[in-house]
Amino acid sequence: MTLRRIWYAIRGRAYPRTVGAMREPSWIFYDLTLPILGVVAFVFVYRALGAPPRFTGYVIMGGATIAFWMNVMWNMASQFYWEKHQGNLELYMMAPCGLVPILLGMALGGMLATTLRAVVVVAAGVLLFQAPLTVSSWPLFLGIFALGLVALYGLGMFFSSLFLMWGREAWHMVSLLQEPVYLASGFYFPVRALGLWVGLAASLIPITLALDGLRQVMFPTSHPGLIPVLWEVAGLALLAVGFTVLALRMLRYMERISRQEGRLSFRW
Amino acid sequence: MVARTLRTVKVGFWLGWQIQSNWTDPFLFFIYSLARPLGGTFILVFMFYVVAGGRRGAMLDFFVVGAALWPTVVAALMGLAYGVLEDREHFKTTQYIYTAPIPFWAYLVGRGLASTVIGLPATILTLAVAIGILRIPVALPVDRLPYFLAALTLGVVGLLAVGMAIVGSLFIVSGEAWRMPEAVGQALYLLCGAIFPVTVLPNWLEPVARALPITYWLEAMRRAVLSPDAVRSFPAYSDLAVLGLLAAVSAIWIGAATLAFLGGLTRARQQGILDASSTF
Repeated sequence: MTLRRIWYAIRGRAYPRTVGAMREPSWIFYDLTLPILGVVAFVFVYRALGAPPRFTGYVIMGGATIAFWMNVMWNMASQFYWEKHQGNLELYMMAPCGLVPILLGMALGGMLATTLRAVVVVAAGVLLFQAPLTVSSWPLFLGIFALGLVALYGLGMFFSSLFLMWGREAWHMVSLLQEPVYLASGFYFPVRALGLWVGLAASLIPITLALDGLRQVMFPTSHPGLIPVLWEVAGLALLAVGFTVLALRMLRYMERISRQEGRLSFRW
Repeated sequence: MVARTLRTVKVGFWLGWQIQSNWTDPFLFFIYSLARPLGGTFILVFMFYVVAGGRRGAMLDFFVVGAALWPTVVAALMGLAYGVLEDREHFKTTQYIYTAPIPFWAYLVGRGLASTVIGLPATILTLAVAIGILRIPVALPVDRLPYFLAALTLGVVGLLAVGMAIVGSLFIVSGEAWRMPEAVGQALYLLCGAIFPVTVLPNWLEPVARALPITYWLEAMRRAVLSPDAVRSFPAYSDLAVLGLLAAVSAIWIGAATLAFLGGLTRARQQGILDASSTF
Protein backbone atom coordinates (compact mmCIF):
# COMPACT_ATOMS: atom_id res chain seq x y z
CA MET A 1 0.00 0.00 0.00
CA THR A 2 2.75 2.42 0.97
CA LEU A 3 4.79 1.57 -2.10
CA ARG A 4 1.79 2.03 -4.32
CA ARG A 5 1.10 5.43 -2.72
CA ILE A 6 4.70 6.47 -3.26
CA TRP A 7 4.54 5.36 -6.90
CA TYR A 8 1.30 7.29 -7.44
CA ALA A 9 2.89 10.39 -5.92
CA ILE A 10 5.97 10.07 -8.12
CA ARG A 11 3.89 9.49 -11.21
CA GLY A 12 1.50 12.30 -10.33
CA ARG A 13 4.27 14.85 -9.82
CA ALA A 14 6.12 13.75 -12.95
CA TYR A 15 2.94 14.08 -15.02
CA PRO A 16 2.88 17.91 -15.33
CA ARG A 17 6.53 17.91 -16.38
CA THR A 18 6.08 15.41 -19.17
CA VAL A 19 2.52 14.96 -20.42
CA GLY A 20 1.19 18.20 -18.88
CA ALA A 21 3.90 20.29 -20.50
CA MET A 22 2.55 19.33 -23.92
CA ARG A 23 -0.55 21.40 -23.20
CA GLU A 24 1.50 24.62 -23.14
CA PRO A 25 3.47 24.37 -26.39
CA SER A 26 5.31 27.63 -25.72
CA TRP A 27 7.98 25.54 -23.94
CA ILE A 28 9.08 24.41 -27.39
CA PHE A 29 10.22 27.96 -28.05
CA TYR A 30 11.62 28.74 -24.60
CA ASP A 31 13.22 25.39 -23.77
CA LEU A 32 14.61 24.65 -27.19
CA THR A 33 15.28 27.99 -28.79
CA LEU A 34 16.95 29.55 -25.75
CA PRO A 35 19.69 26.92 -25.33
CA ILE A 36 20.20 26.85 -29.10
CA LEU A 37 20.67 30.65 -29.16
CA GLY A 38 23.26 30.35 -26.39
CA VAL A 39 25.02 27.58 -28.27
CA VAL A 40 25.06 29.59 -31.49
CA ALA A 41 26.54 32.64 -29.73
CA PHE A 42 29.43 30.65 -28.29
CA VAL A 43 30.00 28.76 -31.55
CA PHE A 44 30.46 32.15 -33.22
CA VAL A 45 32.97 33.09 -30.52
CA TYR A 46 35.08 30.05 -31.43
CA ARG A 47 34.62 30.84 -35.12
CA ALA A 48 35.83 34.39 -34.50
CA LEU A 49 38.93 32.82 -32.94
CA GLY A 50 39.42 30.36 -35.82
CA ALA A 51 39.19 27.37 -33.44
CA PRO A 52 39.24 23.74 -34.71
CA PRO A 53 35.81 22.06 -35.25
CA ARG A 54 35.96 20.01 -32.04
CA PHE A 55 35.41 23.23 -30.07
CA THR A 56 32.04 23.56 -31.77
CA GLY A 57 31.30 20.10 -30.37
CA TYR A 58 32.31 21.29 -26.89
CA VAL A 59 29.88 24.20 -27.11
CA ILE A 60 27.02 22.00 -28.32
CA MET A 61 27.59 19.56 -25.45
CA GLY A 62 27.77 22.48 -23.02
CA GLY A 63 24.56 23.97 -24.39
CA ALA A 64 22.73 20.68 -23.99
CA THR A 65 24.04 20.35 -20.44
CA ILE A 66 22.82 23.82 -19.54
CA ALA A 67 19.28 22.54 -20.09
CA PHE A 68 19.85 20.04 -17.26
CA TRP A 69 21.46 22.56 -14.95
CA MET A 70 18.64 25.07 -15.50
CA ASN A 71 16.05 22.37 -14.95
CA VAL A 72 17.68 21.27 -11.70
CA MET A 73 18.08 24.80 -10.41
CA TRP A 74 14.78 26.37 -11.47
CA ASN A 75 12.52 23.32 -11.39
CA MET A 76 14.02 21.25 -8.59
CA ALA A 77 16.02 23.38 -6.19
CA SER A 78 13.76 26.42 -6.19
CA GLN A 79 10.53 24.55 -6.86
CA PHE A 80 9.40 24.63 -3.23
CA TYR A 81 9.85 28.41 -3.31
CA TRP A 82 7.41 28.64 -6.23
CA GLU A 83 5.09 26.19 -4.50
CA LYS A 84 5.02 28.46 -1.46
CA HIS A 85 3.79 31.31 -3.65
CA GLN A 86 1.13 29.19 -5.29
CA GLY A 87 -0.03 27.82 -1.95
CA ASN A 88 0.80 24.22 -2.88
CA LEU A 89 3.53 23.66 -0.34
CA GLU A 90 1.11 23.34 2.56
CA LEU A 91 -0.86 20.78 0.53
CA TYR A 92 2.32 18.81 -0.16
CA MET A 93 3.16 18.80 3.52
CA MET A 94 -0.26 17.45 4.43
CA ALA A 95 -0.30 14.77 1.73
CA PRO A 96 0.20 11.25 3.15
CA CYS A 97 3.05 10.43 0.76
CA GLY A 98 5.59 12.88 2.24
CA LEU A 99 7.88 15.28 0.38
CA VAL A 100 10.42 12.75 -0.91
CA PRO A 101 8.18 11.01 -3.50
CA ILE A 102 7.07 14.44 -4.69
CA LEU A 103 10.69 15.45 -5.19
CA LEU A 104 11.41 12.14 -6.92
CA GLY A 105 8.47 12.76 -9.22
CA MET A 106 9.79 16.22 -10.06
CA ALA A 107 13.21 14.72 -10.73
CA LEU A 108 11.89 11.91 -12.92
CA GLY A 109 9.66 14.23 -14.94
CA GLY A 110 12.45 16.79 -15.23
CA MET A 111 14.99 14.18 -16.38
CA LEU A 112 12.71 12.82 -19.10
CA ALA A 113 11.59 16.20 -20.40
CA THR A 114 15.06 17.73 -20.27
CA THR A 115 16.71 14.74 -21.94
CA LEU A 116 14.34 15.21 -24.85
CA ARG A 117 15.24 18.91 -25.02
CA ALA A 118 18.97 18.21 -24.77
CA VAL A 119 18.73 15.73 -27.64
CA VAL A 120 17.03 18.38 -29.78
CA VAL A 121 19.72 20.95 -28.88
CA VAL A 122 22.49 18.52 -29.84
CA ALA A 123 20.71 17.54 -33.06
CA ALA A 124 20.15 21.19 -33.99
CA GLY A 125 23.78 22.04 -33.21
CA VAL A 126 25.09 19.15 -35.29
CA LEU A 127 22.82 20.01 -38.20
CA LEU A 128 23.53 23.75 -38.09
CA PHE A 129 27.28 23.54 -37.66
CA GLN A 130 28.19 20.04 -38.89
CA ALA A 131 29.93 19.48 -35.56
CA PRO A 132 31.95 16.26 -35.31
CA LEU A 133 30.14 14.36 -32.53
CA THR A 134 30.84 10.63 -32.43
CA VAL A 135 30.71 8.25 -29.48
CA SER A 136 33.66 5.90 -28.99
CA SER A 137 31.94 3.71 -26.35
CA TRP A 138 28.15 3.73 -25.96
CA PRO A 139 28.09 1.75 -22.66
CA LEU A 140 30.51 4.23 -21.10
CA PHE A 141 28.62 7.18 -22.56
CA LEU A 142 25.27 5.96 -21.23
CA GLY A 143 26.77 5.03 -17.87
CA ILE A 144 28.29 8.49 -17.38
CA PHE A 145 25.06 10.11 -18.53
CA ALA A 146 22.89 8.07 -16.14
CA LEU A 147 25.18 8.52 -13.14
CA GLY A 148 25.51 12.22 -13.91
CA LEU A 149 21.73 12.59 -13.95
CA VAL A 150 21.26 10.81 -10.61
CA ALA A 151 24.02 12.86 -8.98
CA LEU A 152 22.75 16.10 -10.46
CA TYR A 153 19.14 15.58 -9.43
CA GLY A 154 20.37 14.45 -6.00
CA LEU A 155 22.09 17.83 -5.76
CA GLY A 156 18.82 19.47 -6.82
CA MET A 157 16.95 17.66 -4.03
CA PHE A 158 19.62 18.75 -1.58
CA PHE A 159 19.24 22.38 -2.66
CA SER A 160 15.46 22.17 -2.52
CA SER A 161 15.63 21.51 1.21
CA LEU A 162 17.68 24.69 1.63
CA PHE A 163 15.18 26.61 -0.43
CA LEU A 164 12.43 25.58 1.98
CA MET A 165 13.98 28.10 4.34
CA TRP A 166 14.52 30.90 1.87
CA GLY A 167 12.23 33.59 0.55
CA ARG A 168 13.34 36.10 -2.05
CA GLU A 169 16.94 34.87 -1.66
CA ALA A 170 15.96 31.73 -3.55
CA TRP A 171 15.48 33.61 -6.82
CA HIS A 172 18.79 35.42 -6.51
CA MET A 173 20.73 32.35 -5.41
CA VAL A 174 19.57 30.41 -8.44
CA SER A 175 20.60 33.34 -10.63
CA LEU A 176 23.95 33.44 -8.90
CA LEU A 177 24.57 29.77 -9.68
CA GLN A 178 24.59 30.26 -13.43
CA GLU A 179 27.65 31.85 -15.07
CA PRO A 180 30.01 30.97 -12.17
CA VAL A 181 28.93 27.32 -12.49
CA TYR A 182 29.24 27.41 -16.30
CA LEU A 183 32.78 28.66 -15.75
CA ALA A 184 33.80 26.25 -12.99
CA SER A 185 32.31 23.21 -14.72
CA GLY A 186 33.82 24.01 -18.12
CA PHE A 187 30.56 24.16 -20.05
CA TYR A 188 32.22 25.80 -23.06
CA PHE A 189 35.86 24.73 -22.78
CA PRO A 190 37.78 21.76 -21.33
CA VAL A 191 37.67 22.06 -17.53
CA ARG A 192 41.35 21.04 -17.47
CA ALA A 193 42.11 24.60 -18.64
CA LEU A 194 41.25 25.79 -15.12
CA GLY A 195 44.03 23.63 -13.69
CA LEU A 196 43.85 20.18 -12.08
CA TRP A 197 43.08 21.31 -8.55
CA VAL A 198 40.45 23.88 -9.49
CA GLY A 199 38.89 21.27 -11.77
CA LEU A 200 38.84 18.72 -8.98
CA ALA A 201 37.27 21.23 -6.59
CA ALA A 202 34.66 22.03 -9.23
CA SER A 203 33.95 18.30 -9.51
CA LEU A 204 31.72 18.63 -6.45
CA ILE A 205 29.23 19.86 -9.04
CA PRO A 206 28.33 16.58 -10.79
CA ILE A 207 28.09 18.25 -14.19
CA THR A 208 31.85 18.89 -14.17
CA LEU A 209 32.78 15.20 -14.10
CA ALA A 210 29.86 14.15 -16.30
CA LEU A 211 30.63 16.70 -19.01
CA ASP A 212 34.35 15.97 -18.97
CA GLY A 213 33.69 12.22 -19.03
CA LEU A 214 31.29 12.55 -21.97
CA ARG A 215 33.81 14.68 -23.85
CA GLN A 216 36.53 12.08 -23.23
CA VAL A 217 34.23 9.45 -24.74
CA MET A 218 33.35 11.68 -27.69
CA PHE A 219 36.82 13.09 -28.41
CA PRO A 220 39.06 10.29 -27.09
CA THR A 221 42.22 11.42 -28.85
CA SER A 222 41.99 15.20 -28.71
CA HIS A 223 40.19 16.09 -25.46
CA PRO A 224 42.47 16.97 -22.54
CA GLY A 225 40.57 15.12 -19.78
CA LEU A 226 40.67 16.23 -16.17
CA ILE A 227 41.33 12.73 -14.79
CA PRO A 228 41.04 9.24 -16.40
CA VAL A 229 37.47 8.57 -17.47
CA LEU A 230 36.97 5.54 -15.21
CA TRP A 231 37.93 7.64 -12.21
CA GLU A 232 35.33 10.12 -13.29
CA VAL A 233 32.74 7.33 -13.41
CA ALA A 234 33.71 6.32 -9.87
CA GLY A 235 33.52 9.95 -8.74
CA LEU A 236 30.06 10.34 -10.26
CA ALA A 237 28.86 7.16 -8.53
CA LEU A 238 30.14 8.53 -5.24
CA LEU A 239 28.42 11.87 -5.81
CA ALA A 240 25.18 10.14 -6.83
CA VAL A 241 25.01 8.15 -3.59
CA GLY A 242 26.33 11.00 -1.45
CA PHE A 243 23.96 13.69 -2.70
CA THR A 244 20.92 11.40 -2.54
CA VAL A 245 21.61 10.40 1.09
CA LEU A 246 22.51 13.96 2.02
CA ALA A 247 19.37 15.28 0.34
CA LEU A 248 17.09 12.92 2.26
CA ARG A 249 18.67 13.77 5.61
CA MET A 250 18.77 17.49 4.87
CA LEU A 251 15.17 17.53 3.74
CA ARG A 252 14.00 16.02 7.01
CA TYR A 253 16.13 18.43 9.02
CA MET A 254 15.13 21.56 7.12
CA GLU A 255 11.48 20.58 7.15
CA ARG A 256 11.61 20.39 10.94
CA ILE A 257 13.41 23.73 11.24
CA SER A 258 10.98 25.38 8.81
CA ARG A 259 8.01 24.13 10.81
CA GLN A 260 9.57 25.32 14.06
CA GLU A 261 10.33 28.78 12.69
CA GLY A 262 7.05 29.06 10.84
CA ARG A 263 8.68 29.65 7.47
CA LEU A 264 6.78 27.10 5.44
CA SER A 265 4.15 29.57 4.33
CA PHE A 266 6.38 32.63 4.69
CA ARG A 267 6.30 33.95 1.13
CA TRP A 268 8.68 36.84 1.02
CA MET B 1 2.86 67.25 -15.82
CA VAL B 2 6.65 67.23 -16.25
CA ALA B 3 7.17 67.55 -12.50
CA ARG B 4 4.78 64.69 -11.84
CA THR B 5 6.52 62.54 -14.45
CA LEU B 6 9.92 63.22 -12.93
CA ARG B 7 8.59 62.53 -9.45
CA THR B 8 7.14 59.24 -10.67
CA VAL B 9 10.45 58.25 -12.28
CA LYS B 10 12.16 59.05 -8.99
CA VAL B 11 9.72 56.99 -6.93
CA GLY B 12 9.91 54.11 -9.43
CA PHE B 13 13.69 54.31 -9.19
CA TRP B 14 13.62 54.24 -5.39
CA LEU B 15 11.22 51.30 -5.31
CA GLY B 16 13.25 49.36 -7.87
CA TRP B 17 16.40 50.01 -5.90
CA GLN B 18 14.80 48.76 -2.67
CA ILE B 19 13.34 45.64 -4.26
CA GLN B 20 16.55 44.63 -5.97
CA SER B 21 19.01 45.42 -3.24
CA ASN B 22 17.36 44.81 0.13
CA TRP B 23 16.91 41.06 -0.09
CA THR B 24 20.23 40.46 1.60
CA ASP B 25 23.09 42.19 3.39
CA PRO B 26 25.31 44.57 1.37
CA PHE B 27 28.28 42.17 1.29
CA LEU B 28 26.31 39.30 -0.24
CA PHE B 29 24.67 41.77 -2.61
CA PHE B 30 28.12 42.93 -3.71
CA ILE B 31 29.23 39.32 -4.30
CA TYR B 32 26.02 38.62 -6.19
CA SER B 33 26.45 41.70 -8.36
CA LEU B 34 29.98 40.72 -9.27
CA ALA B 35 29.93 36.92 -9.51
CA ARG B 36 27.75 36.55 -12.59
CA PRO B 37 29.46 39.16 -14.78
CA LEU B 38 32.91 37.97 -13.77
CA GLY B 39 31.86 34.38 -14.41
CA GLY B 40 30.63 35.34 -17.88
CA THR B 41 33.82 37.27 -18.61
CA PHE B 42 36.15 34.51 -17.50
CA ILE B 43 34.29 31.93 -19.59
CA LEU B 44 35.28 33.99 -22.64
CA VAL B 45 38.80 34.49 -21.34
CA PHE B 46 39.31 30.74 -20.93
CA MET B 47 37.74 30.05 -24.32
CA PHE B 48 40.23 32.47 -25.79
CA TYR B 49 43.25 31.04 -23.99
CA VAL B 50 42.29 27.43 -24.78
CA VAL B 51 42.35 28.26 -28.50
CA ALA B 52 45.22 30.76 -28.44
CA GLY B 53 47.40 28.54 -26.29
CA GLY B 54 47.96 31.22 -23.65
CA ARG B 55 48.93 33.99 -26.08
CA ARG B 56 47.25 37.40 -25.88
CA GLY B 57 45.39 38.99 -28.77
CA ALA B 58 43.17 41.87 -29.82
CA MET B 59 40.11 39.65 -29.83
CA LEU B 60 40.51 39.12 -26.08
CA ASP B 61 40.10 42.89 -25.53
CA PHE B 62 36.94 42.79 -27.64
CA PHE B 63 35.52 39.88 -25.61
CA VAL B 64 36.29 41.32 -22.22
CA VAL B 65 34.92 44.82 -22.83
CA GLY B 66 31.74 43.36 -24.36
CA ALA B 67 31.31 40.91 -21.48
CA ALA B 68 31.87 43.74 -18.99
CA LEU B 69 29.20 45.92 -20.62
CA TRP B 70 26.67 43.12 -20.95
CA PRO B 71 25.46 43.17 -17.30
CA THR B 72 24.27 46.75 -17.84
CA VAL B 73 22.33 45.68 -20.93
CA VAL B 74 20.74 42.77 -19.07
CA ALA B 75 20.01 44.89 -16.00
CA ALA B 76 18.25 47.60 -18.01
CA LEU B 77 16.12 45.17 -20.03
CA MET B 78 15.35 42.81 -17.18
CA GLY B 79 14.69 45.66 -14.74
CA LEU B 80 11.86 46.96 -16.89
CA ALA B 81 10.46 43.55 -17.76
CA TYR B 82 10.65 42.07 -14.28
CA GLY B 83 9.22 45.31 -12.89
CA VAL B 84 5.99 44.57 -14.74
CA LEU B 85 6.05 40.87 -13.91
CA GLU B 86 6.85 41.27 -10.23
CA ASP B 87 4.10 43.84 -9.75
CA ARG B 88 1.60 41.71 -11.63
CA GLU B 89 2.46 38.20 -10.49
CA HIS B 90 4.49 38.46 -7.32
CA PHE B 91 3.43 41.50 -5.34
CA LYS B 92 0.04 41.81 -7.07
CA THR B 93 0.18 45.60 -7.02
CA THR B 94 -0.39 46.39 -10.71
CA GLN B 95 -3.98 47.51 -10.23
CA TYR B 96 -2.99 49.97 -7.48
CA ILE B 97 -0.08 51.41 -9.42
CA TYR B 98 -2.01 51.65 -12.67
CA THR B 99 -4.97 53.40 -11.07
CA ALA B 100 -2.76 55.86 -9.15
CA PRO B 101 -2.62 59.38 -10.65
CA ILE B 102 0.85 58.87 -12.15
CA PRO B 103 2.10 58.13 -15.67
CA PHE B 104 2.47 54.34 -15.62
CA TRP B 105 5.29 54.40 -18.18
CA ALA B 106 7.30 56.85 -16.06
CA TYR B 107 7.06 54.52 -13.08
CA LEU B 108 8.39 51.65 -15.23
CA VAL B 109 11.20 53.82 -16.61
CA GLY B 110 12.16 54.54 -13.00
CA ARG B 111 12.26 50.80 -12.26
CA GLY B 112 14.38 50.23 -15.35
CA LEU B 113 16.79 53.05 -14.44
CA ALA B 114 17.26 51.61 -10.95
CA SER B 115 18.14 48.28 -12.44
CA THR B 116 20.54 49.91 -14.91
CA VAL B 117 22.31 51.73 -12.09
CA ILE B 118 22.56 48.46 -10.15
CA GLY B 119 24.13 46.86 -13.24
CA LEU B 120 26.75 49.60 -13.72
CA PRO B 121 29.03 48.69 -10.76
CA ALA B 122 29.30 45.17 -12.17
CA THR B 123 30.49 46.68 -15.45
CA ILE B 124 32.96 48.97 -13.70
CA LEU B 125 34.33 46.23 -11.44
CA THR B 126 34.64 43.78 -14.33
CA LEU B 127 36.60 46.39 -16.27
CA ALA B 128 38.77 46.94 -13.18
CA VAL B 129 39.50 43.21 -13.05
CA ALA B 130 40.19 43.27 -16.78
CA ILE B 131 42.74 46.06 -16.35
CA GLY B 132 44.29 44.81 -13.10
CA ILE B 133 44.43 41.05 -13.66
CA LEU B 134 44.00 40.42 -17.37
CA ARG B 135 46.06 43.45 -18.42
CA ILE B 136 43.48 44.51 -20.99
CA PRO B 137 44.44 47.99 -22.28
CA VAL B 138 41.23 49.73 -21.21
CA ALA B 139 41.65 53.47 -20.73
CA LEU B 140 39.49 56.58 -20.81
CA PRO B 141 41.61 59.57 -21.85
CA VAL B 142 40.14 62.98 -21.06
CA ASP B 143 39.64 63.81 -24.73
CA ARG B 144 37.45 60.68 -25.12
CA LEU B 145 35.28 61.56 -22.12
CA PRO B 146 32.62 63.57 -24.05
CA TYR B 147 32.33 60.73 -26.57
CA PHE B 148 32.06 58.20 -23.75
CA LEU B 149 29.38 60.20 -21.91
CA ALA B 150 27.38 60.78 -25.09
CA ALA B 151 27.54 57.07 -25.93
CA LEU B 152 26.59 56.09 -22.40
CA THR B 153 23.58 58.42 -22.30
CA LEU B 154 22.33 57.47 -25.74
CA GLY B 155 22.93 53.83 -24.93
CA VAL B 156 20.82 53.95 -21.77
CA VAL B 157 18.03 55.64 -23.72
CA GLY B 158 18.26 52.97 -26.42
CA LEU B 159 18.28 50.19 -23.84
CA LEU B 160 15.20 51.58 -22.10
CA ALA B 161 13.46 51.88 -25.47
CA VAL B 162 14.13 48.21 -26.25
CA GLY B 163 13.02 47.35 -22.70
CA MET B 164 9.75 49.25 -23.10
CA ALA B 165 9.06 47.41 -26.35
CA ILE B 166 9.46 44.13 -24.44
CA VAL B 167 7.13 45.45 -21.74
CA GLY B 168 4.48 46.11 -24.40
CA SER B 169 4.55 42.40 -25.30
CA LEU B 170 4.61 41.28 -21.68
CA PHE B 171 1.26 42.96 -21.03
CA ILE B 172 -0.39 40.38 -23.27
CA VAL B 173 1.77 37.31 -22.52
CA SER B 174 0.80 35.22 -19.53
CA GLY B 175 1.98 31.62 -19.16
CA GLU B 176 5.63 31.96 -20.08
CA ALA B 177 5.98 35.65 -19.32
CA TRP B 178 8.84 35.12 -16.87
CA ARG B 179 10.93 33.46 -19.51
CA MET B 180 10.35 35.97 -22.27
CA PRO B 181 12.83 38.63 -21.08
CA GLU B 182 15.48 35.93 -20.80
CA ALA B 183 14.67 34.76 -24.32
CA VAL B 184 15.06 38.28 -25.65
CA GLY B 185 18.30 38.68 -23.70
CA GLN B 186 19.72 35.49 -25.24
CA ALA B 187 18.74 36.61 -28.72
CA LEU B 188 20.37 40.00 -28.20
CA TYR B 189 23.51 38.35 -26.80
CA LEU B 190 23.80 36.54 -30.10
CA LEU B 191 22.81 39.41 -32.36
CA CYS B 192 24.32 42.63 -31.09
CA GLY B 193 28.03 41.92 -31.14
CA ALA B 194 28.39 41.53 -27.39
CA ILE B 195 31.01 38.80 -27.55
CA PHE B 196 32.05 38.67 -31.19
CA PRO B 197 32.11 41.18 -34.05
CA VAL B 198 28.82 41.30 -35.96
CA THR B 199 30.82 40.63 -39.12
CA VAL B 200 31.08 37.00 -37.92
CA LEU B 201 27.28 36.65 -38.18
CA PRO B 202 25.82 35.13 -41.36
CA ASN B 203 24.95 37.77 -43.96
CA TRP B 204 21.21 37.37 -43.45
CA LEU B 205 21.51 38.12 -39.71
CA GLU B 206 23.66 41.23 -40.01
CA PRO B 207 20.74 43.57 -40.90
CA VAL B 208 18.99 42.47 -37.69
CA ALA B 209 22.11 43.34 -35.70
CA ARG B 210 22.27 46.73 -37.43
CA ALA B 211 18.68 47.51 -36.43
CA LEU B 212 19.47 47.28 -32.70
CA PRO B 213 20.71 50.29 -30.69
CA ILE B 214 22.64 47.95 -28.40
CA THR B 215 24.92 46.94 -31.30
CA TYR B 216 25.99 50.56 -31.83
CA TRP B 217 26.19 51.23 -28.10
CA LEU B 218 28.61 48.36 -27.52
CA GLU B 219 30.65 49.47 -30.52
CA ALA B 220 30.73 53.09 -29.33
CA MET B 221 31.72 52.12 -25.81
CA ARG B 222 34.53 49.90 -27.12
CA ARG B 223 35.78 52.78 -29.27
CA ALA B 224 35.73 55.04 -26.20
CA VAL B 225 37.82 52.79 -23.98
CA LEU B 226 39.97 50.70 -26.34
CA SER B 227 42.78 51.82 -28.62
CA PRO B 228 42.00 52.67 -32.29
CA ASP B 229 43.64 49.46 -33.55
CA ALA B 230 41.24 47.23 -31.52
CA VAL B 231 38.93 44.76 -33.26
CA ARG B 232 35.72 46.46 -34.38
CA SER B 233 32.24 45.42 -35.46
CA PHE B 234 32.02 48.27 -37.98
CA PRO B 235 35.57 48.99 -39.12
CA ALA B 236 34.37 51.14 -42.03
CA TYR B 237 32.50 53.64 -39.83
CA SER B 238 34.06 56.60 -38.04
CA ASP B 239 33.49 57.12 -34.30
CA LEU B 240 31.02 59.93 -34.97
CA ALA B 241 29.14 57.86 -37.51
CA VAL B 242 28.69 55.11 -34.88
CA LEU B 243 27.40 57.69 -32.40
CA GLY B 244 25.04 59.12 -35.04
CA LEU B 245 23.72 55.67 -35.87
CA LEU B 246 23.23 54.96 -32.15
CA ALA B 247 21.16 58.16 -31.84
CA ALA B 248 19.14 57.47 -34.98
CA VAL B 249 18.39 53.82 -34.19
CA SER B 250 17.53 54.71 -30.58
CA ALA B 251 15.08 57.35 -31.85
CA ILE B 252 13.41 54.78 -34.08
CA TRP B 253 13.19 52.37 -31.16
CA ILE B 254 11.61 55.06 -28.95
CA GLY B 255 8.85 55.36 -31.55
CA ALA B 256 8.50 51.58 -31.82
CA ALA B 257 8.50 51.18 -28.03
CA THR B 258 5.78 53.82 -27.65
CA LEU B 259 3.59 51.98 -30.14
CA ALA B 260 4.32 48.58 -28.55
CA PHE B 261 3.70 49.88 -25.04
CA LEU B 262 0.43 51.62 -25.88
CA GLY B 263 -0.73 48.77 -28.10
CA GLY B 264 0.06 46.11 -25.48
CA LEU B 265 -1.51 48.13 -22.70
CA THR B 266 -4.71 48.77 -24.67
CA ARG B 267 -4.99 45.13 -25.68
CA ALA B 268 -4.42 43.93 -22.10
CA ARG B 269 -7.09 46.31 -20.81
CA GLN B 270 -9.53 45.19 -23.50
CA GLN B 271 -8.94 41.56 -22.55
CA GLY B 272 -9.00 42.34 -18.83
CA ILE B 273 -5.61 40.73 -18.24
CA LEU B 274 -3.51 43.73 -17.23
CA ASP B 275 -3.33 42.52 -13.62
CA ALA B 276 -4.15 38.86 -14.25
CA SER B 277 -1.69 36.61 -12.47
CA SER B 278 -0.67 33.73 -14.71
CA THR B 279 1.03 31.88 -11.84
CA PHE B 280 4.66 30.87 -12.06
